[in-house]
Amino acid sequence: MAVEVVIENLSKVFPPNVKALENVSFKIKPKEFFVILGPSGSGKTTLLRIIAGLEVPTKGRVIIGDRVVVDAEKGIYVEPKDRNIGMVFQNWALYPHMTAYENIAFPLRIKRLPKDEIDRRVKEVAEALGIIDLLNRKPAHMSGGQQQRVALARALAKQPDVLLLDEPFSNLDARIRVTAREFVREIQKKLGITTILVTHDQADAFAVGDRVMVLRNGVIQQIGKPKELYDEPRNLFVANFIGDPPMNIVKVNTSNEIIHRLDITEHIGSVKQLKYLYIGIRPDEAQAITSREGMLKGYVRLIEYAGSRKYAKVEVTPNITLKVLASEDVEEDTTVDIEVKKVHVFNENGERIKTITY
Amino acid sequence: MGDITTQRLMFKSPIKWLVINAIAWIIGVLWITPFIGIFMTSIRPFSEVVSGWWTIHPFTVTFENYFEALFNPMFSLYKGLINSLIIAVPSTLIPVFLASLAAYAFARFSLPIKNYLFATILFLMAVPQQMTIIPIFFMLNNMHLLNTYLGLILVHSSWGIPWIIFFLRNYFSLLPVELEEAAKVDGASYRQIYFKIVLPVALPGIVSAAVLQFAWVWNDFFFALMLIFDPDKMVVTQMLPRLKGQYQVDWGLLSAGSVIAMIVPILVYALFNRYYVSGFRGWAMKR
Repeated sequence: MAVEVVIENLSKVFPPNVKALENVSFKIKPKEFFVILGPSGSGKTTLLRIIAGLEVPTKGRVIIGDRVVVDAEKGIYVEPKDRNIGMVFQNWALYPHMTAYENIAFPLRIKRLPKDEIDRRVKEVAEALGIIDLLNRKPAHMSGGQQQRVALARALAKQPDVLLLDEPFSNLDARIRVTAREFVREIQKKLGITTILVTHDQADAFAVGDRVMVLRNGVIQQIGKPKELYDEPRNLFVANFIGDPPMNIVKVNTSNEIIHRLDITEHIGSVKQLKYLYIGIRPDEAQAITSREGMLKGYVRLIEYAGSRKYAKVEVTPNITLKVLASEDVEEDTTVDIEVKKVHVFNENGERIKTITY
Repeated sequence: MGDITTQRLMFKSPIKWLVINAIAWIIGVLWITPFIGIFMTSIRPFSEVVSGWWTIHPFTVTFENYFEALFNPMFSLYKGLINSLIIAVPSTLIPVFLASLAAYAFARFSLPIKNYLFATILFLMAVPQQMTIIPIFFMLNNMHLLNTYLGLILVHSSWGIPWIIFFLRNYFSLLPVELEEAAKVDGASYRQIYFKIVLPVALPGIVSAAVLQFAWVWNDFFFALMLIFDPDKMVVTQMLPRLKGQYQVDWGLLSAGSVIAMIVPILVYALFNRYYVSGFRGWAMKR
């Protein structure tokens, strides 16, 4: 049974005066895979721990399903054990003295389920996660990927209302990481369980998330589908944080030549009242070409290969260098044109004014 | 196994390896020599060892000293061993159990005066036994526990609790807190977390504390001397001096008695060696 999770006006202050979260509100739909994305120190783990009940908020409340599990104002607090949540910790936190089987069975034994029921459920979840062969092993004799699956199995075995994942991929090798993401995503879809994942890695977030929330210094920056965050970042922070390679962001005076070249005034009206603007161009949304039909011109300083793609670092003016896709025939130390497909314009406060598509 | 290879790797230069091995051997030999001496003395008749245990000609092996020491009605070490066990086992289990609970609270929970309380415990650990013995004596006397097993067990237990709290608090605070949080999320109560997760995971630390406490109680002479005076109830360390004889020291007998007395803590150590070593390794390790 999938439930929704509602976070209302949540604030957390650690003594003496560290604001981890500031007035955070959002709603997670039943069966949704929701990702909280932010750099370290953004308060994302604190938020997850408050939902789990391992931490108590200074203000605000959390509702899981139709039950208020914590309300700082009314003094309501439901213990983690009574919230019916499953959680996977960053280091997986498997009980080292127990085998995989005992680890998975632990929450069920605590619930005092009948023995055959426990056995059935452990085998069932182990089957689903492909760890049947590991059941007799202790955590010390498992690889990182295997430990993660066991931790996931333990979290899922008690059929929780909500699954919480704290940086579950960060201790995995790059290669296993990709498979692990797909795997977690598939399992989540199959079981249809409301899931909250915390990560600092945008690739994790985009790979698994139905919706992603970007958090910075305890303040929500933006909530949306991965594509929305990528196409219409609400501010510079989101624009910079999301996308790989990162967006080219340049600060320019409103009188700068480049503003004119990119027809920015035409799209956003007068910029006279502003002193300067930020212009953001994603490397994948502009291309260096050898024919003379781009909006910008520049000199290729460097060519870089990333898999099948080729990027050029193009010096447009002495102060502005853009990293953009390069067409096949672009070479180092040549002059090229840049064909710009999309430009994000941000005001002095870093808020997005407009995204211009050419 | 992994440890051995990493240790080998640590000594890349053969000279360093040689020096460290030499030092280890010297310490080892210095440590074991008196033990060998006592053992050699204990298994030979008196006439052979009067000129020193290192004379090996003639060399006759006899266990007479052991029989004498164990079963002589005047000073039965056998009875002493039994009494020592009766005292030492509960004097180990009780304080380790109680102190582990307190240590866990000190390591994990926040109490208003926790740090002052802990400082007080540390401070009181510095008080010497001799300073407390008179009040302890009168207290036991008032409780009619003087010259009883229970009295001595209580004294040893309360003497052991502070240092075990100190030892285990540090050990517990090295354990990853995520394990306990995971158990909390898994639905476990505090009691279940403690008994099903914390205790098993902290077993090396607990065993280390228990082995040390056991050895301490077993080797204690002072408390026993002051609080037990019925010859039937005397512990092995009290029996030992009585082997000395009134006019002439029978070294063979005394040595056999010493070997008997120390064999128990050595056995305990050997039995739990694995835990004991990893307990101290864990304790020395930084988080």
